[in-house]
Amino acid sequence: MNSLTHSLTDLSTVLVDLLFMPLIAFFVGLLMVLMMRKLSARLQRRIGPPFFQPIYDIVKLYSKSTQVSHGLIHEIGIVVAVGGYIASEILLPVPGMDGIADKGGIITLSYFLMIPSLGMALGVGQCANPNGSIGISRALTAMLAYDIPFIIVVFGVATHYQSTSLIGMIDYQQAHQWGIFEMPLLAAAGLFALQGMMGKQPFEIYVAPAEIATGPMVEMSGKFMGGLFVMQSFQFYTAGVLYTSLFLGGGNNWPEFLLKIFLVVSIPMTMAFLFPRYRTEDMVRVMWKWPVMVALIGIAFVM
Amino acid sequence: MNTLNNIPVQADNNKRTNPLATVFDEFIQFCQSRSLFMLHYCTGCGAIELPPAMTSRFDMERLGIQPMVTPRQADILLVTGYVSVKTLKRVILTYEQMQSPKYVIGICSCTVNGGMYWQSYATAKVLNEYLPVDVYIAGCMPRPEAVISGLRRLMANIEQGKGNAWQDYYQRYDYYLGNQQHLFGDDWQTPTDVIGEAKYYELEAEQTYGKHTDILAQHQQPLEAQTMQIKF
Repeated sequence: MNSLTHSLTDLSTVLVDLLFMPLIAFFVGLLMVLMMRKLSARLQRRIGPPFFQPIYDIVKLYSKSTQVSHGLIHEIGIVVAVGGYIASEILLPVPGMDGIADKGGIITLSYFLMIPSLGMALGVGQCANPNGSIGISRALTAMLAYDIPFIIVVFGVATHYQSTSLIGMIDYQQAHQWGIFEMPLLAAAGLFALQGMMGKQPFEIYVAPAEIATGPMVEMSGKFMGGLFVMQSFQFYTAGVLYTSLFLGGGNNWPEFLLKIFLVVSIPMTMAFLFPRYRTEDMVRVMWKWPVMVALIGIAFVM
Repeated sequence: MNTLNNIPVQADNNKRTNPLATVFDEFIQFCQSRSLFMLHYCTGCGAIELPPAMTSRFDMERLGIQPMVTPRQADILLVTGYVSVKTLKRVILTYEQMQSPKYVIGICSCTVNGGMYWQSYATAKVLNEYLPVDVYIAGCMPRPEAVISGLRRLMANIEQGKGNAWQDYYQRYDYYLGNQQHLFGDDWQTPTDVIGEAKYYELEAEQTYGKHTDILAQHQQPLEAQTMQIKF
């Protein structure tokens, strides 16, 4: 009887976590989108959007009166893209909530992080817009480019901590020292891969508004675009939390944690507006050369 | 063109009675007025006034207006300057691909009455005859302050629920199609099935159909997907 109550409490905790972790991720992600737009505005000496602008955008997109759907797969693709990130959020431990992070480690997470791009590819495929097809082929090539250094970094970090559990890594870092001090080379390579993962300049060739009309997003209207705006906020949050968990020791409490993830995300955002963009093949070349090299040397130190 | 008497005024029968629903509608209207994605179809010289309106001097983004590059994502179609007959076809195709609620802003005198191209054989003079225009910003060319003031007028209209010109295109399609056929010939046809959309979204009115839509029905080619092939 006692064990039954115990497991019921466990179950309810997990259910509450499953509900609140994506919700928190969404709202923090919206703040990150706001931060990105404010940063770009400040760097260009503009005022920038008002505080609730990301919410206005999403509400407006979902409240469009007419919607063009190109078929079932188009709609499912967006759901897969957003769902992939929602699934990732419950694997990322935050202060006070672990979700199911102890069940699936960082390897599951790196698989989940590929789902959104594949979902987008599904959805865009049915739009049959040539700009969209070019965009998504570039996006998948870009994924191939940044995933190689990212996986090497993940491998190195897991080797160093002798564990693939994010909770274990965070506990170790909080007891000893932050990962960024123990493996600075891997952290540098990770930051490089993060720039690609967030799709920021100079690695945003697949969006390229002036040439291929935002690439994968070209046929997305109304609720589809709204779904992608939601996805973007999840994407920033995921990137920030993942890097913080791997190298900055997670967080003991929310203020510290939020400070860290906003700091991490602000680095690629700030750098983004200083650069033009690489072509796809150049991006692959840069990504497979410098961060991979740095990460491999980093692994050599860790081993 | 239109006097106040021949503008069709229709009683809005589906007014909501639930006060909460009204609050929800007002919230949505507020969000729609605060977030406008703008597709600038830069046809003429007025386009040169847009960069200062968007960048650091006048900064449109603080009003929630930002440029978008495809008609699918855009809310505002900004026609900046004279529209030649050839360009007008593209403007109409672009407009029909946008998703409602959508707004058209005509910038510069040329969109209002032809401006200095009044005597030109190749320009469409009054944009309002081919597309329902929400706001005109007159001037040759209007300065960024005027552009922003026009956009603010549009925002106020949307917030008060008056930015409904897009419904007019469905409800009086025959009129607009007639003017388009007058310029482009009777076999004029766009890839967007406007009448089908009007039926689907229940926006059709008496004047959706008429003799011009009959002409369209005679000439209309069924839309087919293009075959995908690689030619060398």
